[in-house]
Amino acid sequence: MNYIEVNGVKIELDEDGFIVEPDLWSEDLVKAFAKTEGVEELTEDHWKVINYLRDYFKQFGIAPMIRKLCKDTGFSLKEIYDLFPSGPAKGACKLAGLPKPTGCV
Amino acid sequence: MARTDFGPPDYREMLPPIVAENYGKWLYHEIPQPGVIKHVSETGAVLYSVRMASPRLVNSDWVREICDIAEKYCGGYLRFTTRHNVEFLVSDPSQLQPLLDELKARGHMIGGAGHAISNVVHTQGWVHCKSAVTDASGLVKSVMDELHPYFSGKIKIPARLRIAVACCVNMCGACHCSDIAIVGIHRTVPRINDELVAKTCEIPTTVASCPTGAIRPNPKLKSIEINAEKCMMCGNCTVVCPALKIMDPENDGVSIWVGGKVSNARTAPMFSRLAVPFIKNNPPRWPEVTDTVKHLVEVWAKDAKYGERMGEWIERIGWERFFKLTGLPFTEKHIDSFTHATQTFRSTTQFRF
Amino acid sequence: MDEKKTTPLLDELEAGEWPSFVTQLKQAAKKSKMAAGLVQQLEASYEEKIGHWKHGGIVGVKGYGGGVVGRYSDDPERFPDCREFHTLRVNQVAGFFYSTKKLRELADVWDKYGTGLYNLHGSTGDIILLGTDTQNVQPCFDALSEIGFDLGGSGGALRTPSCCVGMARCEKACIDSMDINHNLTLHYQNEMHRPAWPYKFKIKISACPNDCAASTARSDLAIVGLWRDTIEIDQDAVREYVANGFKLEENVLRRCPTWALDWDAENKELKVKAEDCTHCMHCINAMPKAIRIGKERGAAIMIGGKAPVVKGANIGWVLVPFMKMEAPYTELKEIIDRVTDYWAEHGKNRERVGELIDRVGYATFLKAIGLEPVPQMVTAPRANPYIFWSAEEVEKRG
Repeated sequence: MNYIEVNGVKIELDEDGFIVEPDLWSEDLVKAFAKTEGVEELTEDHWKVINYLRDYFKQFGIAPMIRKLCKDTGFSLKEIYDLFPSGPAKGACKLAGLPKPTGCV
Repeated sequence: MARTDFGPPDYREMLPPIVAENYGKWLYHEIPQPGVIKHVSETGAVLYSVRMASPRLVNSDWVREICDIAEKYCGGYLRFTTRHNVEFLVSDPSQLQPLLDELKARGHMIGGAGHAISNVVHTQGWVHCKSAVTDASGLVKSVMDELHPYFSGKIKIPARLRIAVACCVNMCGACHCSDIAIVGIHRTVPRINDELVAKTCEIPTTVASCPTGAIRPNPKLKSIEINAEKCMMCGNCTVVCPALKIMDPENDGVSIWVGGKVSNARTAPMFSRLAVPFIKNNPPRWPEVTDTVKHLVEVWAKDAKYGERMGEWIERIGWERFFKLTGLPFTEKHIDSFTHATQTFRSTTQFRF
Repeated sequence: MDEKKTTPLLDELEAGEWPSFVTQLKQAAKKSKMAAGLVQQLEASYEEKIGHWKHGGIVGVKGYGGGVVGRYSDDPERFPDCREFHTLRVNQVAGFFYSTKKLRELADVWDKYGTGLYNLHGSTGDIILLGTDTQNVQPCFDALSEIGFDLGGSGGALRTPSCCVGMARCEKACIDSMDINHNLTLHYQNEMHRPAWPYKFKIKISACPNDCAASTARSDLAIVGLWRDTIEIDQDAVREYVANGFKLEENVLRRCPTWALDWDAENKELKVKAEDCTHCMHCINAMPKAIRIGKERGAAIMIGGKAPVVKGANIGWVLVPFMKMEAPYTELKEIIDRVTDYWAEHGKNRERVGELIDRVGYATFLKAIGLEPVPQMVTAPRANPYIFWSAEEVEKRG
């Protein structure tokens, strides 16, 4: 099993590094994830995206489509990738504690 | 950080000189022997393309072997076809026979040009796909072990015949428009792991994924439920929700489809139509499938006119005669029940009794 | 080495005339532990008649949102050597031409970072590199980029366009399919590498209506080369066919779908009624030495082709019956942009552009992307009276 340690507590991750128990999400977890996803320093802009994703998921039960994410946060797709180098699905959704995106391959 | 967004190597740097020099200048071609295509340019240049069967799933040794051959006979260039064959491009006619001899000595098969069965376009299957109902590579190998004389030109056929294999109803690989298609299908409804649905699935996405509206939320369990009567086993929900499992080794299997084509030659492109709704998975050789496919090829080859593709032949003789000539049973499963179904119901008294 | 594991079922697929993928796998397994793991897992699939890959993983490289397909064994304890077995999709060269130097460089990189197993090519067109683990994905991409290979698309993004051989080696090429392919692939790198669309989007290019790239059936937007003047006939060559016993009447005249060809036996001349010809290719295919494509060349654009998932299969519909195709293909790109913008804005999650058109109606779609309707777009006009009229088209009442 994969784990990530946050404040001395081991949190279970799936093979792609997404949290298994959505209820165990915390801001400290985001800080721990940031390192693994190539986010050097969490800024206000990062939190804007993360909070948007969490709010959207809470309201609708789904992750927003990427175009919607860009429109609603005001960030271009390029800016999203600058913030989260591993992209909105693998990066931002992971930090926001959303279920692993299951888009088509 | 690595550089990004630079794209593939430029094709202009990958062309053998004879191709670069005669780009857009080719006049005509002929097929002097099976698997060898002779192209003549307006410059007078003559190019021989030698087409070799590939297993498509290959290793680095194989890649280096074809490189060795291309360096020896083709100036260090080669290409692949849209149907995964390898093509050796020979600009020096004196190299043609030695190349053919060496390919034969190395055990490679030449063919697939003109009125022939070419290589099979297929999907990953159990080798690498998460939603594979069957193994595409194994089916292809088994079918082509039976049909290779149609590839190598030992047995002549009236027109080209294209075979495709898809390991699930997603039909990656042109199965919906192939002369003969083998497609993996499910026959049982997905099973739900409620606890996992609650944790890992977007309920609205899962509900919306169903093309027949068979899925609805189950708020009590924070999960979903499936109306089995409406489910047509397309598997789309299992793609968006990992907690739904549709694999069922006892009931999964393959179906066979006929008469599709993509070319506009003579007639418009056509969809493949259901011939055999279900054959049990029978690895490693799927004998029931290979027998049926071989039978279909033989019946068509015997009855079709010059240049007449499977679908054109069926259009001419009629579906009633197709089922009669092939001896395949026509059942309720053959009558469409999905989105464009009524377009396939017949509205004329023109029959072939 | 562990205990010797046997693969009796897969072994049977090493026999027979057709080249064996099992032989390829086993050779790779001698050098790569991960490939050996795959062989064991595949044997189990053959025995149990069920696949052993887990639901899709999500693995990638920095700066891209796709191009790598994450794959994990569903039973890592039983198949530890292929517990991670990711795929890299790599842009193929247009027309699938390679120098052996380039292929050898690719093989060296892939032997170093993965199993040394490939699909040449995947059914979409990419070079598929089969099997590496998470920690090797980024280094592998870095090494690929050193030798000039970039990743293809996955997820809600453009797939690597693919095409037929075209002018490189075909006398029927009405357009430069390989150049269009290369140009579009470079132009749309961002759309390929950073998924932002409702679902996948495929572009394929065939240089003539024979459609060897299967573009109309297999791509959301197909470009099919054709000509709009008349076919060119070399009468001497026709006479030669006839003199050599070619069955002109049976194999060509009677197979012409519109009876556009006539043989003047007296003057030994093949005549074509240009306005009746539908450019179907049959006579050109049958007599390549005597009949050639016309001179005024361009392409038709077809829209909405796809396999069945989810609302049924489509063969693409005519969007533009004829368009000139000259580099840098500005008009084509404008059409692609208008189509994908409208679809990105209005498409639902996992809705292909063909399904969107089916939902909103073709007339609505055409209006949205600014195309005038023409008869070539339909097989027949509507047969029902339920026509939509806008407020501007009718007299105001009261």
